[in-house]
Amino acid sequence: MEKFSFKDVLVTFAGLLITAFIAWVLISATGNNPSEVALYLYEGGFKGTRNIANSLYQATPLILTAVATLISFRVGMFNIGINGSMYVGALYAGWAGYKFTTLGHFTHVTVCILIGMLVGAAWMLLPALLRVYAGVSEIISTIILNFVAVLFVSYMANGPFRADPIAPATPRILETAELKQIFPNSQFNTGFFIAVFVAILAHFVLNKTTFGYELRSGGDGLVGMYPSRFSSYLGIPSDRSAIIGMLISGALGGLAGAIEVLGAVRYFFQELEFNQGFDGILIGILGKLEPIGSVIASLFYGAIKNGGFYVDYKTDVSREIIIVLISILIFFVSAQKMVKGLEKYPLIKKLDNFFSRKKM
Amino acid sequence: MNKDIAIHLKNITKEYPGVVANKNVDFQVFKGEIHALVGENGAGKSTLMKILYGIEQPDEGEILINGKLEQINKVETAINLGIGMVHQEFTLVPSFTAPENIGLGQEPRNSQGIIDWKGLNKLVVNIAEKYGFKVDPSLKMIDASVGVQQRTEILKTLYRNANILILDEPTAVLTPQETDELFTVIRTLVDEGKTVVFITHKLREVMEIADRVTVMRAGEVQGVSETKNTSIAELASQMVGREVFLQVKKDDAKPEEEILNVEDLWVHDARGLLAVKGVSLNIRKGEIVGIAGVEGNGQSELVEALTGLRKTSQGSINYLGENIASSSPKNIRRKKIAHIPEDRTNTGLNTQLSIWENLIGNSYFRKPLSTNGIFNLKKIATHSNKLKEDFDIRAPNISLKVKSLSGGNQQKVVVARELSEDPILTIASQPTRGVDIGNIEAIHEQLVQMRDDGGAVLLVSAELDEVMAVADRVGVMYEGQIVKWVNPKEVDQSQMGLYMAGIKD
Repeated sequence: MEKFSFKDVLVTFAGLLITAFIAWVLISATGNNPSEVALYLYEGGFKGTRNIANSLYQATPLILTAVATLISFRVGMFNIGINGSMYVGALYAGWAGYKFTTLGHFTHVTVCILIGMLVGAAWMLLPALLRVYAGVSEIISTIILNFVAVLFVSYMANGPFRADPIAPATPRILETAELKQIFPNSQFNTGFFIAVFVAILAHFVLNKTTFGYELRSGGDGLVGMYPSRFSSYLGIPSDRSAIIGMLISGALGGLAGAIEVLGAVRYFFQELEFNQGFDGILIGILGKLEPIGSVIASLFYGAIKNGGFYVDYKTDVSREIIIVLISILIFFVSAQKMVKGLEKYPLIKKLDNFFSRKKM
Repeated sequence: MNKDIAIHLKNITKEYPGVVANKNVDFQVFKGEIHALVGENGAGKSTLMKILYGIEQPDEGEILINGKLEQINKVETAINLGIGMVHQEFTLVPSFTAPENIGLGQEPRNSQGIIDWKGLNKLVVNIAEKYGFKVDPSLKMIDASVGVQQRTEILKTLYRNANILILDEPTAVLTPQETDELFTVIRTLVDEGKTVVFITHKLREVMEIADRVTVMRAGEVQGVSETKNTSIAELASQMVGREVFLQVKKDDAKPEEEILNVEDLWVHDARGLLAVKGVSLNIRKGEIVGIAGVEGNGQSELVEALTGLRKTSQGSINYLGENIASSSPKNIRRKKIAHIPEDRTNTGLNTQLSIWENLIGNSYFRKPLSTNGIFNLKKIATHSNKLKEDFDIRAPNISLKVKSLSGGNQQKVVVARELSEDPILTIASQPTRGVDIGNIEAIHEQLVQMRDDGGAVLLVSAELDEVMAVADRVGVMYEGQIVKWVNPKEVDQSQMGLYMAGIKD
């Protein structure tokens, strides 16, 4: 993959500036004070243990969905269905959380997480097999499965798994299945460390192992390029890579859902709403489809998201406007060509070379 | 004699990030001449022509057309100035006929604004007759031969009143006979007062057709000469900046035991049609067997079948006594068969990956490059840097993405990887396509070296010169069959041309 270069820093910086300007106009137009909003956004994202913990909590599922996205993209599959995996993973992790009553804490959490991942992966099996053996576009099938997932979990929470006669929800998970919350008044939980560990593992596997090489030999930046002629030519079965990549992607989506339920929500209810699966696509791209880059992008996104909640709480500006601003930011940050013209200046070239140099 | 100057590009400089594509280029074409523009890949020919055709803007310099200073900032302007370009890759709508393609966007209309198809056909046929072409107005381009498609492209520019025609490597896709026809067409065009700029890197053709020739190297003009006052050797040395051996230096082959024996092989193509119809051939240790022929006569499918990328329908491929027909590419590779594929960018490389990631494609799984599935990045770096050195891959470092390399260097990555694991049999398909002359020479030398080191080589190429110079025995393929086996030393080009057109003696 392309490494981060000075150009990226420049683009990000320019994007931030432009977004800040648009934000200023937008917030002024709604009759609010932009600098006040900016202050609250900053405080909500970064100030004090509680806010920082909440920002990290927001980042947790995003890290996982972003890594899930980038893995599927880098095997050449365009997986849009991670949100669906997240739902089913959350549902079944919640189910395992109350169903197994005799397990110790560590075993129970592990079992719940594994079940969440397994179900999340299984959710991706159909689109993967359809793509490989029937040529059905995985973009279409995974988008469709997102809708199916929402309706499916809603049915399960309302029917077979329903505990409460009043509200459509599963029973609360047992204490043995909980991921510990560390800070008071914050939903930040140990799931964050799992997410970061997964990202580091993904970085290692993708870049430093033969397995990772085989997975990405056909894709890697060529999104949607499965089946790859390069892989088959080298004797690497790209069918297998595509299926495994999709399954890993789904498993990580399921893991994101499982951590939400085990670490924060603690039960599954019908109205539980996820969109991190979609945010993960943006973040994965923002992180240049690199796991470590995605962690950084997730942390940033999580902080802004949490800051947005704080702004919403403190001022008349609704949190939707923050979402709008994030979208605008991503829009500009991905506008790579914006600085293309700058490349001819010697200073930029020099800095670019400096930042993109590598030992090998 | 003072000749009118049709095109004068004055002091053109064009810089891309990191490369100067054109540096103070001065390029003059007289009215009514055939002017060849030659140079290696990346010499700046295409950039210069793109500037002339309005696709790119120069950083510095002026463009004079017929003595008048012009600003050509879009293709439309160029067309209005009477400049027409025939690109290497045709821009035709396959499901349209010749007149439909030619008139596209400028169809004659009747008073109600409805396209006058009959008028268009007549117009096209008239233009064609004027320049001595034949067109079949009802033939769809999808059914037309490459030569016909090319003529349609030329007609398209004439329909738009082009006086200056730029032909970008027009002969790359043609048989010798079709090339002769094209040359006749070009001569007629010039007789009718047109000016032709002919981009190529085949010097023999330059000598045959051009009046004058401009040689470019590394973005600069190396020399302008009249073809009658120069020679192929002189042009070649101007192109690469040193003496070049147009002949491949090699001793006679000393073939030993048989490595590969293909018997009565039948293969279907992607559309399910028979592409290889009963091919038999054998390759011995220490020889290079060439397959010549116009592209699309089953060579690609033959190579794919031999390398496991395509299932065979009938027949056997015996390699060291074992039938490997319809075996997997992985199994075939493990048996030390190397494959330089014809499609470099999609098959031979993943251009999104770095140089080293492409170089280890056939060795990443073995020690010491990886142990228990984990890369040994230091060993990989040593291995890759050695290949970079040995095969003269010009890149600042091996972490660079392959897509940022020039075509010739990309091909060297493929060749380096394929020859690195001591193959017993090397199957090279169009190994020098789009590669410049200096690198062609290097690749040919490496193939000969493989042979001299006791390897067996199958060379499939549409470049007749290449097969004739490199191979020890040549089979000519036509419509899925090998119609003739020849000794390249005993036949001449025109005879080969006949075999390639399917005419047996």
